Amino acid sequence: MEVSEVYVINSALIKIDRHFNKGYKELANEVVSEVISKSGIESIDLVVVSNMLSDCILDQLDISTILMQNLGMTKVRTLRVETGESSGLAALEAAWMAIKSGAAENVLVIGVEKVTEYPTYKINKVYGKVLDYEVEFIRNITPPDYAALVMKAYLKKYGLKREDLIMWPVKMHDNACRNAYAQLSFGITPEKVLTSMVISDPIHLLDTFPLGDGAAALLLTSGKAVSNVAAEPVKVVYVDSAVSAQFHLREDLTRLPATAVLASRLKEKFGDKVFTEAAIELHDSYSIYAYIILEELGLAERGKAYEIVSELEFVNVSGGLKARGHPFGATGVYQVAELHKLVTEGFAGRKFDGKYAIAHSMSGPDYNARVALLQKLA
Amino acid sequence: MKYSIPKFWRRKEGYYQIILTKCRECGKVAFFTYVRCPYCGSSNVELVKSCGRGVVEEFTISYNRVEEGEEYLPKIIAIVRLNEGVRVVGELVDIDLSEVKEGVEVEAVLRRFSSDDPHGLIYYGLKFAPVIKGA
Repeated sequence: MEVSEVYVINSALIKIDRHFNKGYKELANEVVSEVISKSGIESIDLVVVSNMLSDCILDQLDISTILMQNLGMTKVRTLRVETGESSGLAALEAAWMAIKSGAAENVLVIGVEKVTEYPTYKINKVYGKVLDYEVEFIRNITPPDYAALVMKAYLKKYGLKREDLIMWPVKMHDNACRNAYAQLSFGITPEKVLTSMVISDPIHLLDTFPLGDGAAALLLTSGKAVSNVAAEPVKVVYVDSAVSAQFHLREDLTRLPATAVLASRLKEKFGDKVFTEAAIELHDSYSIYAYIILEELGLAERGKAYEIVSELEFVNVSGGLKARGHPFGATGVYQVAELHKLVTEGFAGRKFDGKYAIAHSMSGPDYNARVALLQKLA
Repeated sequence: MKYSIPKFWRRKEGYYQIILTKCRECGKVAFFTYVRCPYCGSSNVELVKSCGRGVVEEFTISYNRVEEGEEYLPKIIAIVRLNEGVRVVGELVDIDLSEVKEGVEVEAVLRRFSSDDPHGLIYYGLKFAPVIKGA
């Protein structure tokens, strides 16, 4: 059986912000209208909606159905995908598999999240449910606590000072200044990182992401249909995911096991240089994770990622979760939309002409990780 | 009601004692009650009770505000190496913030996780406190 190729032919995103005057339907509508209107695609076979919090925050189950009803798309297949913070790339994974298998030709992926319906402390509570409710959440352990323990283990293992790990957020804010869709498009100084509020020592407020609402959309099509569209298609070469052991079962906290598995599998399939030849959007929910992800992908030596931060030209051009923002279920879709634009029309004042573009996403302390490998057609 | 009563009751053994899952296939031991070995996936496991004592390997002092958890702030979340060699992450209590350090000997103590104030259930579970010498 012939396996279909999969292409992104259009992408759309809105500025991540506190959109108090808009609900998730309005946010999704903006990106859906934009992504379909310019595409040349006449019919959609499947809509995959990525959303993490609707059950807890929006009091809404079956959000994909309700969304289709409100967008006048009642005859289309639709499903919601939720894998915690990596839901966006999981939605791409589902869409990719649907086209690959021949079950669908044109698939719309929507990532939408309304985070600011409640104050931060309420969102912090539901966000904690990405961990094991019975083992961790109920015992008052939260995601930043784990990031703090990882940072302390990392500093200890490599004999570093806290001050050595302050350039990631500074770099992300600098990148976000050129991204019109970023939530925090202002610069910060290294001093400001360490004087910002302590969340879980040594993790400060500026080591982590802001809370904001967002929506992004991708239009995917099969190899058969791609010749009919005018846009510059970008091939979705591969999407992969893995799960790692729970935090207390890990002996080495300076590793992210699921990300490591994906990095190894991607190198095995596409060569050792796959990450060094790519523009990358990675999941820096806490700055310490960014350093470790760089090491897991082979972009930096163990314990030395902080030394190369200033040299990273095409890593998190968006500003990353840190400064672009992290509207949970929408984030992975943002990453792919940003990379799609980066290699076609240009994004955040830059254009990438290299071989690959890679989105990396994970949930909690790498409880699951996902990667998507994109390639612009020559 | 914050928590489902059956959900909490069902796990009470694991909340009121430190229970470890010991795998008869790969021999590894893990904190908490797993239906299969989290390392090798074998269902040939047995649940064993920990002595409940260990040593603080790492800790963080957390100010992260979470709804209905404010009264516990700042909280100390510690990685404890149990005497059985197994790691567990949990809250550290009955210790001054300035006295928390690696190597402190701790033991499991029954404390409140949460409550349905002002009426209703109080949810108890194990946290860790420094071992009182001679006690």
